[in-house]
Amino acid sequence: MTRWLPLVLLVGLMACGEQTDRPLSPSGFVGAEVLTPRPLPDITLTDHLGAPFHLADATRGKVTLLFFGYMHCPDICPVHLANIAAVLDKLPDEEQRQIAVIFVTVDPARDTMPDLYRWVTGFHPSFIALTGSDSLIQAAQVASGLLVAQRDTVAANAGAAYLVGHAASVIAHTRDGIGRVQYPFGTRQRDWAHDLPRLIAFEETP
Amino acid sequence: MQWWCAATGLPWDWRWQWYPGVHLVLVLLAVGWWSLGRAHGWTTRPWGWFVTAWVALLATLDWPIGKLGAGYLASVHTLQFMLLTLLIAPALLRSIPADGWSVLAPEGSRRFRALRTMARAIPGLLCYNIIVITTHLPAVVDPAMRTQLGSFLVDGAWLVGGLILWWPLVAPAPFERLGTFPKMGYLFGATIIPTIPAMMMVFSEWPLYALYELAPRVDVRFSANEDVMLAGLLMKVVGDIPLWIAMAVVFFRGTARDAQAHG
Repeated sequence: MTRWLPLVLLVGLMACGEQTDRPLSPSGFVGAEVLTPRPLPDITLTDHLGAPFHLADATRGKVTLLFFGYMHCPDICPVHLANIAAVLDKLPDEEQRQIAVIFVTVDPARDTMPDLYRWVTGFHPSFIALTGSDSLIQAAQVASGLLVAQRDTVAANAGAAYLVGHAASVIAHTRDGIGRVQYPFGTRQRDWAHDLPRLIAFEETP
Repeated sequence: MQWWCAATGLPWDWRWQWYPGVHLVLVLLAVGWWSLGRAHGWTTRPWGWFVTAWVALLATLDWPIGKLGAGYLASVHTLQFMLLTLLIAPALLRSIPADGWSVLAPEGSRRFRALRTMARAIPGLLCYNIIVITTHLPAVVDPAMRTQLGSFLVDGAWLVGGLILWWPLVAPAPFERLGTFPKMGYLFGATIIPTIPAMMMVFSEWPLYALYELAPRVDVRFSANEDVMLAGLLMKVVGDIPLWIAMAVVFFRGTARDAQAHG
């Protein structure tokens, strides 16, 4: 029996490391399917070149991961972006090309575009950084069914480094532009690896 | 305030934090060692070994290594494992002189029998490897490091695992059970099982531990994937070095002893 112990332990460790431990949604996603699927906001923001970027038109035909966050976020944003980037890197090029990752700043006053673009593309060169006016960014959040981000005004008014409370979920839109699945903070790389190909292949059954 | 380093999920910062539990353990250890020496009338006090163990324990469990390892970086967590099992544990065993062990466990006593049993290869390897594997399972690490008690138990298990591992090698004469070549075989055996979690960390497609994958990054340029890979490499490549050095020491000491006996 003892001579099989290493093998048993190895199999146990492998099982712990590779399987997704969450129940799947009715469509087979690890992420949570949204109750009311919404289309990508019909809103035009600004990209790193200062050019207009219409969320729905610019991403047509692609799986779009839409995330509202900010560059100075100390925890959620960098972890989400790093995990998505790590999984994208391991997908075949053809699948990578079918996925758009869009990071919209909820702190446009502090996240100046050159820095934001450098920060976002530091995770993955294909990531798209967008900014805009406060009102447009708020409208995009509302249209996506998210709570509007709130700045810590006490710290901000005192001129200190401040935090911004924002939705921690990434909204995944399938290739038809409909946001169907959301990924809260805590989504692991193996969860993304499980879901991204399914999001690409997803077709709504009539 | 936390009494022992555990994962908080809060962003990392470089402000010093006090962990009273760590300092209490260190004070108790120093007082215990001093009192034991006085009570048992040790003829020598291996100060060098004790100070090495004590300082290394302070560095391993206290801020910043303790905090980083408990909740931020798998590589630092592995560094803690290596320090506890490969440096602190043998140094602690060495900090009790041979006559100290004889007073602590007089011949014929239950303690003596227990220490004699644990000086054999199979109990040592079995207990050490069970501790290593159990404390590296994601199902154990992820929940344990989120609580102070769990983190304390993992650190404690590693120290105990180290004491168990090194006892057959450093046990003084009345307890010693292994000769030169069995000791070398024992040390080689100790390098095998830790290869499993180490290789899992290096070759796993995705980070093994949710805790470290989802922890706020200490530096965004150092990814969770790089961190866990470094942890695996540290465990296998660097972690084996003290065991190979110990093997060489055992060999040269054994052959020197044989040469003396025959010459």
